[in-house]
Amino acid sequence: MKMLRNIAIGASLLASMSACGGEDTDSGPLGSVDALVILQRPKRIESGDIFQYTSYQAGARIVKLSPPTADGTLETLFPTAAQGAEFAQADISGYDISFDAKQIVFSAKLNASEHYGLFILTLADGSVDQVPTDPGRDYVSPIFLPGNRIMFTTSSTLLLEPGAPQHVDEYERGVTLQLGRINVDGSDETLGPRNLSHRTFPTLASDGRIMFTQWDHLGPANAGHLMFVNQDMQELREGFGKEGKGASNSTLKAQEIAPGRFVAIATARNRTVQAGALIDIRLGTDVVEDGAVSSAGNASEANSRYTALTPDVPRDNSPSADTVGRYYDAYPLNAKENPDLLVSWADGPVESSVLAAAGIPANFGVYLYDTERQARRPILDDPEMWDVFARPLKTRPAPPIVGSATDASLNGQAMIGSLDAYDSTLKTFAPGSVYGIRVIEGYSSEEGFGRMFGTTMFEGQQQLGVARLAADNSWLATVPANVPLALQSVDKFGMSLLAEPVWFSARKNEARVCGGCHENRTGTTNVDPGQLDAFAIGATPMRGLAARADRKSSDAILANANLIQADGSGFDQLMGMAWDKAIQPIFNAKCVSCHGPDNQAGLEPYIIMDPATGESVSWTFDLSATKRPLVIGGEDLAGEWSASYFSIAGPDMEAIDENNLMVSGNFKVYMRPQAARDSDLIKKLNPTVVFPAPTTERAFTTTPHSQDGGGYAELTPTEFYKLILAADMGVNFYSRENAPGNADY
Amino acid sequence: MKNTKLIAAAAFVVGLSFGANPAHAGKGGDAGKIRAAINSGSVDAIIAEVERAEGLSCGECITLVTALTEDSRYAVREVAGWWFAKRPAMAKALAEGFVADLASGDAVAVRNAADFLGSTKTFTSLPALRQAAGRNLDAEAALALVRAAQALAHKDGKPVLQAAMSHSDAAVRAAAVTAWRDILDNQDAAPAIGMLGDADSSVRAAAAMVVGALKGAAGRTQLEALVIGDADPFVRRNAAFALGQIANAGSRAALTKAMSDTSGLVRMTAKTALALLN
Repeated sequence: MKMLRNIAIGASLLASMSACGGEDTDSGPLGSVDALVILQRPKRIESGDIFQYTSYQAGARIVKLSPPTADGTLETLFPTAAQGAEFAQADISGYDISFDAKQIVFSAKLNASEHYGLFILTLADGSVDQVPTDPGRDYVSPIFLPGNRIMFTTSSTLLLEPGAPQHVDEYERGVTLQLGRINVDGSDETLGPRNLSHRTFPTLASDGRIMFTQWDHLGPANAGHLMFVNQDMQELREGFGKEGKGASNSTLKAQEIAPGRFVAIATARNRTVQAGALIDIRLGTDVVEDGAVSSAGNASEANSRYTALTPDVPRDNSPSADTVGRYYDAYPLNAKENPDLLVSWADGPVESSVLAAAGIPANFGVYLYDTERQARRPILDDPEMWDVFARPLKTRPAPPIVGSATDASLNGQAMIGSLDAYDSTLKTFAPGSVYGIRVIEGYSSEEGFGRMFGTTMFEGQQQLGVARLAADNSWLATVPANVPLALQSVDKFGMSLLAEPVWFSARKNEARVCGGCHENRTGTTNVDPGQLDAFAIGATPMRGLAARADRKSSDAILANANLIQADGSGFDQLMGMAWDKAIQPIFNAKCVSCHGPDNQAGLEPYIIMDPATGESVSWTFDLSATKRPLVIGGEDLAGEWSASYFSIAGPDMEAIDENNLMVSGNFKVYMRPQAARDSDLIKKLNPTVVFPAPTTERAFTTTPHSQDGGGYAELTPTEFYKLILAADMGVNFYSRENAPGNADY
Repeated sequence: MKNTKLIAAAAFVVGLSFGANPAHAGKGGDAGKIRAAINSGSVDAIIAEVERAEGLSCGECITLVTALTEDSRYAVREVAGWWFAKRPAMAKALAEGFVADLASGDAVAVRNAADFLGSTKTFTSLPALRQAAGRNLDAEAALALVRAAQALAHKDGKPVLQAAMSHSDAAVRAAAVTAWRDILDNQDAAPAIGMLGDADSSVRAAAAMVVGALKGAAGRTQLEALVIGDADPFVRRNAAFALGQIANAGSRAALTKAMSDTSGLVRMTAKTALALLN
């Protein structure tokens, strides 16, 4: 056996720790534990990003430390020679122990050309069988579910839509992971609905729901939040971390301490080796029983709060200090007010850049952490390995099987809606101001795009439709299943009043009906769609059965200035606002005679200056389709886009800010992403009513540009709505209708 | 080797002298940190610092990252391409030089060019990639062409992959057949079926996986032979997976036999595939 610097705590040390919280015995928090299972992975510097899952180094193993003491025996459970030569070069990324403690499910990659797959180790005989999954895609983070099932995350889409690629992540350098499940015997693999970004680290709560980390990214939103979902991957609900409730940019690797109470890692998205500070999350009202603290009563994301269990550990991605380090994972041994935890911890600057520059990987070892004294006591530290995910090898109760209703009459569509669109904690709507709910489909560059949809950093977006509110302010819509969706409350001009800041998705035949538009989550919502006026009217059809390739507008529709008819029909034929096909024709017809390259209107330019170098450049408003470079600091900010797009969308403001550039003069961003109503261009034009049918009523009290004395051209309702859509859907240049991948090369 | 041509191209684009005051990013990145990471020799340090400079504009950064497009390590070239992809106008200008390298550069230049054009998703490079695929290139360059076609995932990249399926190096053939699955909306399994009889087990395993994912029924007979007769358990497993996807009842005997396979990779896959048969 390899020589280990194996430091184990003795029973006498453990015995000194207090005993309460329902799990301890007189011999300490590990007193009732015969053995620990520990994952040992060869040390590495890579995998700094919390969603990274493809890292591979041969030589990982699952070991058993029995008893968990200084003189305990370390036994390799996997891989062994008897299990087969095909397992000898395995790396292992995660595992779970079955409820009866007789099996271990783990995710392993068997060689460099393989993908991570799922395997079941039977402890009684040491046999290993691969769970049959798509061998060309990765399957990681397995956990046992009640009912002899396994949940996992995967990059596969094989069972969702033939030929459909999985989405790429926000930084577009990795394929995203989504939830799935399969029976232990390998049957009935089922994939959850896709979202635009990763879902990772699922964990089972005692109420039967799954908590996991979801990367939320829509425009400026960029954070990893804890979410709940039922075991059938339906009924997605917020868990922890949103709306200022979080302790950090990302919260991950949650483990339930007691009902409504979780320990998790709080950290930044990247450069922290998936490690961070430990926090104690409580979702509801605390209840203390026999020393155990639970928090299930009134549990909701809105009532949630946290306690820092490691206050010195940074929760951002700054290098951690010596003796402070970062924590890779934690597992609660009891539910005391200050719980005892099995943790993996590494000392020093656990930050990718510092570690990589020094060529020294983080060295995670297993420790017992006394959160009351904030003291770590070492259990196992192999200096060549990451010793992580220590778990007691013992039986545990299986939570109930939690499922959700499905509606076969949806024929593979999903139905979404809400009881009262005015019920929102994010905005107070003026009575009568909401006409309906716009549903938008999202996608990323995987569908034949470059890396950028424009300068605004939004993903690709298609309008699926607008569902008019019923008399009781309810609404329903049937939409495509398994695609990312975003919602906007819109007024009668078609302008967004409130844009939900996240993507969500639903499975085939799933009915997702919420209380409102981000309703108060502390209250109880009794959703019975059958009692809604919207149900009586019928759900608004929004291409729920249309193939992806058909969820786009034709060039003729995009160029049509009179698509919206007097009765209000036609607006929903507009899907993606491809700038060159939908927006530029408006400018060509109505604007460039004054706002062309020759600037007949005489608008003053704006100046971008780099105060560090003194370099400056200027830009003058230009609504033509020509391309004009704007080079500063070594970069051409404008040259890839049409002048009209750059004039309206403006430069990448993140780059302006990041480079400490100064902007002066006649600077305006004429279209604000997701905010047509607040966009100068829209205000200037002052659009007319489009819903339910066009009228001449204006959105703003100001004089519209067409009537301010210059004899300027008036826009049609269709043209107004196209501009509004372009703004509210992120001010992108590209959409499915002008994807570079559509062309022949 | 210093990439003087590319640096010159970048200089042409930016039209300013390099080496001016380095900008300091709000995310904490700067040219000095990129340089230090390069000097450390660590791939991970380089990636971390280039990512941190995602939105940073500075002449020295362009110089440094341009040089990284010629690094000997793929992960470094990939992040350099990603950095330029965030600067579409500059990426487009640099792409012109790389497209020229595809036609006339040596194997290393082709490798670097293909990785840049793939990581920047330069669709207009597809004709040049196809042309390069017809050159007699070494395995490293051929693999880069496959990676580019895979990243672009465009139907017009198929000839690149089909050419690579005939390469003398098994790793190239395996990569090409694997990438075949990733062409957007591709439903044609025929080229992968043609690789089921490859002499190399890694190619046969990849081909079986792709035939299964694309439900290539024409490959059934070969797959049935592989699932019970191939010496490599990865091939047998993937053949069992493929037969389950094809779901033809005629595969019952082969899959039943495979349920008793000596390898833990195969048994449950065969059992599940059997249950999927019509």
